[in-house]
Amino acid sequence: MAPKKDAKAPAKKAEPAKAAAPAPEPEVVAAPPPLDLSTVKVEFTPDQQEDYKEAFGLFDRVGDAKVAYNQVADIMRALGQNPTNKEVRKVLGNPSDEDMAGKRLEFEAFLPMLQHIVNDPNKGTFDDYVEGLRVFDKEGNGTVMGAELRIVLGTLGEKMSEAEIDALMQGQEDENGSINFEAFVKHIMSI
Amino acid sequence: MATDADKFLYVDRNMVNNPLAQADWATKKLVWVPSERLGFEAGSVKEERGEECLVELADSGKKVKVNKDDIQKMNPPKFSKVEDMAELTCLNEASVLHNLKERYYSGLIYTYSGLFCVVINPYKNLPIYSEEIVDMYKGKKRHEMPPHIYAITDTAYRSMMQDREDQSILCTGESGAGKTENTKKVIQYLAHVASSHKTKKDQGELEKQLLQANPILEAFGNGKTVKNDNSSRFGKFIRINFDVNGYIVGANIETYLLEKSRAIRQAKDERTFHVFYYMLTGAGDKLRSELCLEGYNNYRFLVNGNVTIPGQQDKDLFTETLEAFRIMGIPEDEQIGLLKVVSSVLQLGNMSFKKERHSDQASMPDDTAAQKVCHLMGMSVTDFTRAILSPRIKVGRDYVQKAQTQEQAEFAVEALAKATYERMFRWLVMRINKALDKTKRQGASFIGILDIAGFEIFELNSFEQLCINYTNEKLQQLFNHTMFILEQEEYQREGIEWSFIDFGLDLQPCIDLIEKPASPPGILALLDEECWFPKATDKSFVEKVLQEQGTHSKFHKPKKLKDEADFCIIHYAGKVDYKADEWLMKNMDPLNDNVATLLNQSTDKFVSELWKDVDRIVGLDKVAGMSEMPGAFKTRKGMFRTVGQLYKEQLSKLMATLRNTNPNFVRCIIPNHEKKAGKLDPHLVLDQLRCNGVLEGIRICRQGFPNRIVFQEFRQRYEILTPNSIPKGFMDGKQACVLMIKSLELDPNLFRIGQSKVFFRAGVLAHLEEERDMKITDVIISFQAWCRGYVARKAFARRQQQLTAMKVIQRNCSAYLKLRNWQWWRLFTKVKPLLQVSRQEEEMQAKDDELSKVKERQEYAEIQLQEMEVKQHQLSAEKQALQEQLQAETELCAEAEEMRARLAAKKQELEEILHDLEARVEEEEERAMITDLEGRWSAHTMLTKLLLFPP
Repeated sequence: MAPKKDAKAPAKKAEPAKAAAPAPEPEVVAAPPPLDLSTVKVEFTPDQQEDYKEAFGLFDRVGDAKVAYNQVADIMRALGQNPTNKEVRKVLGNPSDEDMAGKRLEFEAFLPMLQHIVNDPNKGTFDDYVEGLRVFDKEGNGTVMGAELRIVLGTLGEKMSEAEIDALMQGQEDENGSINFEAFVKHIMSI
Repeated sequence: MATDADKFLYVDRNMVNNPLAQADWATKKLVWVPSERLGFEAGSVKEERGEECLVELADSGKKVKVNKDDIQKMNPPKFSKVEDMAELTCLNEASVLHNLKERYYSGLIYTYSGLFCVVINPYKNLPIYSEEIVDMYKGKKRHEMPPHIYAITDTAYRSMMQDREDQSILCTGESGAGKTENTKKVIQYLAHVASSHKTKKDQGELEKQLLQANPILEAFGNGKTVKNDNSSRFGKFIRINFDVNGYIVGANIETYLLEKSRAIRQAKDERTFHVFYYMLTGAGDKLRSELCLEGYNNYRFLVNGNVTIPGQQDKDLFTETLEAFRIMGIPEDEQIGLLKVVSSVLQLGNMSFKKERHSDQASMPDDTAAQKVCHLMGMSVTDFTRAILSPRIKVGRDYVQKAQTQEQAEFAVEALAKATYERMFRWLVMRINKALDKTKRQGASFIGILDIAGFEIFELNSFEQLCINYTNEKLQQLFNHTMFILEQEEYQREGIEWSFIDFGLDLQPCIDLIEKPASPPGILALLDEECWFPKATDKSFVEKVLQEQGTHSKFHKPKKLKDEADFCIIHYAGKVDYKADEWLMKNMDPLNDNVATLLNQSTDKFVSELWKDVDRIVGLDKVAGMSEMPGAFKTRKGMFRTVGQLYKEQLSKLMATLRNTNPNFVRCIIPNHEKKAGKLDPHLVLDQLRCNGVLEGIRICRQGFPNRIVFQEFRQRYEILTPNSIPKGFMDGKQACVLMIKSLELDPNLFRIGQSKVFFRAGVLAHLEEERDMKITDVIISFQAWCRGYVARKAFARRQQQLTAMKVIQRNCSAYLKLRNWQWWRLFTKVKPLLQVSRQEEEMQAKDDELSKVKERQEYAEIQLQEMEVKQHQLSAEKQALQEQLQAETELCAEAEEMRARLAAKKQELEEILHDLEARVEEEEERAMITDLEGRWSAHTMLTKLLLFPP
């Protein structure tokens, strides 16, 4: 039973961090035009919809058949998508940080959002990531130091929280603390 | 030990590679904007409107409007605290200043800038000059070690040994920047590295003397100024000679531009040359009376009385100076002679003159001081007084006695004091050189170390500044030329076609403006010429300069009315305003030749030695002729040399020497004027960077392709920008780079591809770096999304498992809830424990059965066991019997064997006997035969006898 609790914890802890991370973004990039979700046609089969609803329900911690805005990203990810935080914010209509934590969303509104993400999936490929990580390969031997990777993921781009990184890197480092990044990327992309 | 020094040598790379800074730089578009307070401030560009930019300052968050041209690009953090600033991709003032500042704050005082080594005075002792560090740098290449004066020195030494080429190390900088200290470190290093241990005694002395030359020179040539407690008031070129084996065989010192006026006048809080204080504080009673010394406040030339320097004991230093004299081999009588001269310089200041009531003539009511001077310098007081008050002056062809005014007499005495001190200083240098040059061994090559003041720009500048700026202009030309040659070589080596203009030529116009002898004459020539002219004044000189050089591109007429300056010269370091007051005097440096003659004939051997060449000084007639007697100057034309001329000659000799050497450049920088450690005044440093040519060097760099990056590194770092441009598998570096650059679509003018490196124009790498960062950030964001997906799915899978488990529990619970109140169920639950009892007996029975079965089996097994045991007994008995039998047989066999052996032996024996017997038989047979024969023979003889002689 114990590991299960652990697994849950990072997901919870991660949320405030996620909310904080994209804060500087509006400064850098002008806010994209709000998305019109009404044009999105939901093409999921009834079976799929049933599954999604069940998953959706799993995230409802209040019991009102809704989820908090800041859980939407995780649901989409649980359902096999890999959107960036920015994309999720975009489909949510670029809500403020308070709205992210406070506002709740019902399943009917969630479906077109998911559909939008599915229609425009993350196009990053295995090769892209391997080449990207190769930049940090100081010795040129196909590995990066775990500590370095932690810093990279925690400080660049959409910064990941320590808890997220811990959950990610569990058991990936070898006895020297280095990570074979091809295997790592393959592993990440396998689930 | 070394680890302590490490932090003052090496950059902490962990900080530099901080990806956070990298991210900041990339996303915020950081740039430098000019700032009153900090020189430059970091800011991020928010908006661009035509020529103007809206920049948000990084520190204060304030938004300011800045002209686009004032914005300087910031280097990517990869370049933070670089050891060689030539590597910076954005080469601009702001980045250079920032880099130096960052390094200085981290305790790293040495930084390279291409050919230059820039050093900032740390104003504290750093543990980076110990012998361990010297050993660390020994024989290392420049790029293998962090920047250090030792690295420069070692490079010079090694290339002297390898290429047999003379070397020079040029230290320049403002007063207090650390020129002299670094010069000393150079000598220390060389004395350590290049001393031969074989002949330790002899060599050791020379090195000791070499190191002792400095304290002596400092005692006589250094003083405390506002900026610097131990300021060298002269320039020097120390030439250290080495033999073919690289051992020091001698040295020679040449000095330049001693600030002799310090001997008679000092600004507030400043001191004159140290030696005066050493002598006054350190001399014992006997010496005091011999030298006619008085208290500090009795001397008019010690304007500020006894000024002390914190942490310095003048008394001890006096002893040390005398000790240095001893090591240098200066005998006691010469030491006394020197000190007498020093004392008389002070006494000269105490001579006072009055204007006579009825005329302009000067008189000297009290001649105590004059008497002391004459006593110290071996002159007759009467002659000396007359020479001062009414000297003989040549007018036309005749000599006349001319009474002097009070001003003239005072001027003469001051000039005399200055000249005396200067001559004594020159003698001292000569004497040191004699000591350092005593080895007879031939020097094969040398390293020259130049320690000379850098460019000076004050609000108004005088003749001294012109001299020093002229020098620096020449030195900069040398640097530019060297750099040009080296660049050209590198480009040739890399096979890159690029025609450079010789940057050395850039400075020629300005040098011509100063030194050209004719058509049109330069400033020095005009000044000399003006000195020849009667009635010439500083003003007429300025007019002449304006007339001759007014249109020169490096010359500016001041805007009248507003400016106090007489003219400006556009030096490479900037525009300098010159004020021509007293230039004619300074250039002629006239001296009362009557007194000079007296000194030349002094009874004191030392004094007369000092004044042995008096024919070339500018005499009184010249000065007099200038003001009142037209035509007088002509009589001695060509006899005297002006200061400008002498200096020009000295400088061109120095330049000729330097041009034949391979120069190494050290630029010293003073961080603040408060002598405070860890503080850096940005504007002060910027001014110096401008003056010492670091920025000029950078300007030149920018004309070419200053950023070079070897193929492999280029590929490793930027391949991410050109995915799929390089086919998989092996490809050589150059080819790969060609493909990469092709796919980057760079303007052909922005790069060149050499034999081993790619060359880039300034700023191109920053652009690539920026793109690379964007790209990496994009990839990382996308990858982070995947990672988050992975983490979320893993968590979700767990949650689903939990869900399943929960559903099982729920089902059971709800079943229980339904059953709970059903009577039958309750009965069942009540009865269920009782059901257990009846079943127990059955179980017992079963167990019993089982038990008996097991018992039976066990018995059977036991019986079998017994049987087996019996059988085993039998078998073992049988075995025993067999064994015994075997034993017996073996014994029998052994016996039989023995018997056989015995028999065999016997047989052998018998055979031998047989053999013997056979041999005997044979023998016997032989004998028998012989006897038989004999028998026959004797029978025969008998018979014959019988026959012949019958009885």
